Amino acid sequence: MTVEVMERSYEVDENGYLVNLDDWSEDVANELAQDEEIEMTDEHWDIVNFLKDYYQEFQIAPAVKVLTKEIAKKNDIKRKEASAYLYNLFPNGPALQACKIAGLPKPTGCV
Amino acid sequence: MDNIQESVVASREVPAESETIEADVNGQVIKKNGKFLNETPMLDELENGPWPSFVTGLKEMAERNKKPMLRGVMDQLEYSYQTKSGYWKGGLVTVKGYGAGIITRYSMIKDKVPEALEFHTFRVQPAPGFHYNTKMLRGLCDIWEKHGSGLIALHGQSGDIMLQGITAEKAQECFDELNEAGWDLGGAGAGIRTSMSCVGPARCEQACYDTLQVHKKVLDAFVGAIHRPERNYKLKFKFSGCSNDCVNAIMRSDIAVIGTWKDDIQVDKEEVKAWIEKKGMDNLVNNVITRCPTNAISLEDGEMVIDNRNCVRCMHCINVMPKALSPGKERGVSVLMGGKNTLKVGTMLGSMIIPFYKVDTDEEIENFIELAEEIVEWWDDNGLDHERIGETIERCGMKQFLEDVGLEANIDMISAPRDNPYYKTEY
Amino acid sequence: MTYERTWQTIESGPHEYKEALHPVVLKNYGKWKYHEMLNPGVMVHVGESGDELFTVRAGTPRQDSVDLLRRLCDLADKYADGYLRFTVRNNVEFMTPHKENIEPLIKDLEEQGFPVGGIGPLVTSIAHTQGWLHCDIPATDASGVAKSVMDSLYNDFKEWKMPNKVRLSTSCCSINCGGQADIAIVIKHTRPPRINHDILSTVCELPKAVARCPVAAIRPTTVNDKKSLMVDEEKCIVCGACFGACPAMEINHPEYSKFAVWVGGKNSNARSKPSKMSLVADEVPNNPPRWEEVNDIVGRILKAYQVGGKPWERMNEWIGRIGWKRFFEETELEFKIDMIDSYRHARASFNQSAHVRF
Repeated sequence: MTVEVMERSYEVDENGYLVNLDDWSEDVANELAQDEEIEMTDEHWDIVNFLKDYYQEFQIAPAVKVLTKEIAKKNDIKRKEASAYLYNLFPNGPALQACKIAGLPKPTGCV
Repeated sequence: MDNIQESVVASREVPAESETIEADVNGQVIKKNGKFLNETPMLDELENGPWPSFVTGLKEMAERNKKPMLRGVMDQLEYSYQTKSGYWKGGLVTVKGYGAGIITRYSMIKDKVPEALEFHTFRVQPAPGFHYNTKMLRGLCDIWEKHGSGLIALHGQSGDIMLQGITAEKAQECFDELNEAGWDLGGAGAGIRTSMSCVGPARCEQACYDTLQVHKKVLDAFVGAIHRPERNYKLKFKFSGCSNDCVNAIMRSDIAVIGTWKDDIQVDKEEVKAWIEKKGMDNLVNNVITRCPTNAISLEDGEMVIDNRNCVRCMHCINVMPKALSPGKERGVSVLMGGKNTLKVGTMLGSMIIPFYKVDTDEEIENFIELAEEIVEWWDDNGLDHERIGETIERCGMKQFLEDVGLEANIDMISAPRDNPYYKTEY
Repeated sequence: MTYERTWQTIESGPHEYKEALHPVVLKNYGKWKYHEMLNPGVMVHVGESGDELFTVRAGTPRQDSVDLLRRLCDLADKYADGYLRFTVRNNVEFMTPHKENIEPLIKDLEEQGFPVGGIGPLVTSIAHTQGWLHCDIPATDASGVAKSVMDSLYNDFKEWKMPNKVRLSTSCCSINCGGQADIAIVIKHTRPPRINHDILSTVCELPKAVARCPVAAIRPTTVNDKKSLMVDEEKCIVCGACFGACPAMEINHPEYSKFAVWVGGKNSNARSKPSKMSLVADEVPNNPPRWEEVNDIVGRILKAYQVGGKPWERMNEWIGRIGWKRFFEETELEFKIDMIDSYRHARASFNQSAHVRF
């Protein structure tokens, strides 16, 4: 499977995650977001950029716990509210949608 | 896959569909032998023997509802049996507002079994105590067969109804119908998980608290944390009505809520006499008195006497003489924390955190929920990624944990005081 | 964007339970007086009100279909006023105040292939995991093992032949989701993972896989200019923990994933404290579709327990009385050096006394 951006195609897996993480660009991100029916706003980009920066520094996606803590701190809100905020931005979950749009590897495992 | 596995894979082939397909009737492929399914000789071996066979059940349903996904899954399973390897990989499928609850499966051999490309599972929370009426269960079956494969496991090891086999495309619609009918998804990933409770006061005279009610209320309080996994790792509650612990709470849950009592075992003297008359004095001595773990039962002038101060509420004598003996009247729960299985520090049993807590009134249950929330918050602040709460407590120290969550140290929490002198008092 | 939720779902949590309870259950809720086991498939609970409620229990495959569940619903409608429940070990239970319904219900259940039993001192259904049918990290098919073992233990499910109840479990990897049990049949990998360097850096987060290892045997490396991981095979304890975090750490293998058999796990607090299970057999072939070798070992252990256990002794209590040495003699299993614990807190399992049975 592929996504097409500016007449170039990028390989994604059956779940829609980029196969080659180096393929990521803002245009690709916008295309991936469209597939998730998300219109990217500054608020979305804040999260996506946070994920990207974190991944670049630590080579892992942050635990969602880290993300909600960060949002709660930044906006001076409770963690529960931060969680709702996050799911309002990414209705199918930050792990699925925000990580996908940020070009991070697919989270693994159910145990 | 490495070379050896590759060669095993190469040497066996899935049944070649092209040879057996005869016609495509109304979009359904029907084969020469008149069967919808391909041949599965190894799986068929599991149709032999007297125990009910899941293979027979699966085949029967697939031949009736003719869902291509089921045929693909049977082909893949047969291939797994032939090659002794699993071929599912994970992914992520969710519904709106939920970050967990659907276990995503894509086939790794989709070229061989395209019909099994997607085979995702809904984890659905049953009613506490696994109680059903047929209307609920039939409704569940109908919704599930409409959108999914019709395959169901009752129940998963965390206590979920597992609806197995749906495509990502149909997930939201199926969930909306389930949700409308009163069902909700269970937990997965680093979050609070689905819970289990024993049959409880619905049918058991030994239930020392209302396991069903407490299960429902506690899990309702954590419902957001079940659907949106944002913890260090999984956390499970389990609710057993007495220390027989029929839902294996002590070993299989991070927070085990186990029924107990404080006052004396209730004794019906007439029934004790009747029991002895029927079963004999030898039986009383061999199977009740000498089996008491703390020697708290003795014979005095031919009468059974219980030293309640030395009773540890193990339930044995009550199990043997259920008509004559029953738990005391001042009932509540013991809470044990930290139980978990192997991954990765080894198996841990829950350890006593709260020896006695009452959960009868709404207010008492509310207090318990508040304490549980405080404990989870402590774990959020102190735990590491992929660390169960029992491991966090062990790493930070039980003393630290008790101080942080505001629980008083209690001799019932330990099997013995420390045997080393390495600690620091106030100076 | 708001801090209040905007999605429409009714987050209802566990299903409501009151509607799932039989009227006699509701009437006597919390007011039961005692129970009696009438036979291996039937028990009666008597309320303070004098009401009697009969329970008929039967085994199911656990891996069910809507067809099977509709059949169970038909039986519940016919004999139990439309109510049924399940036990944690996958048995179905029909509860009815109508004594006259018991015999015809049992007859119908047996005719439809559901064995009636599972109550009291006997072998009840196996708690087990998912396996090849659905799991992403399985080395076997627990459903198949459970079916094969229960075929052999069919009569042990239906008759009171054991000193106390026997609970079994089966798990498809060492994580042991099937749980602690009197006898547990669990996959044991026998070789460190092979690493799929081609895909590793795209399917895993490297530091996560490194952190997952309990003995720090995984290190970053570069293979063919790609970031990857390597395993110190000397250190590796073949636990498979890394595989869950990183599918490129291929631990499963048709020849190097064997079975091990463990005994003496007990969750209940009755008499002795709950206990963890101990390893008594390993290198057992993982041999679909009937797993005869596993079956043979389970059979031997059960036979020895059946002969040697005293009434009410669970597996761990029987072994506690006769000692592990005699357990190995009675079951003719072989004690091997690998059965000496070498992991955390291992010393707790050493004999720190002069007590020996000669």
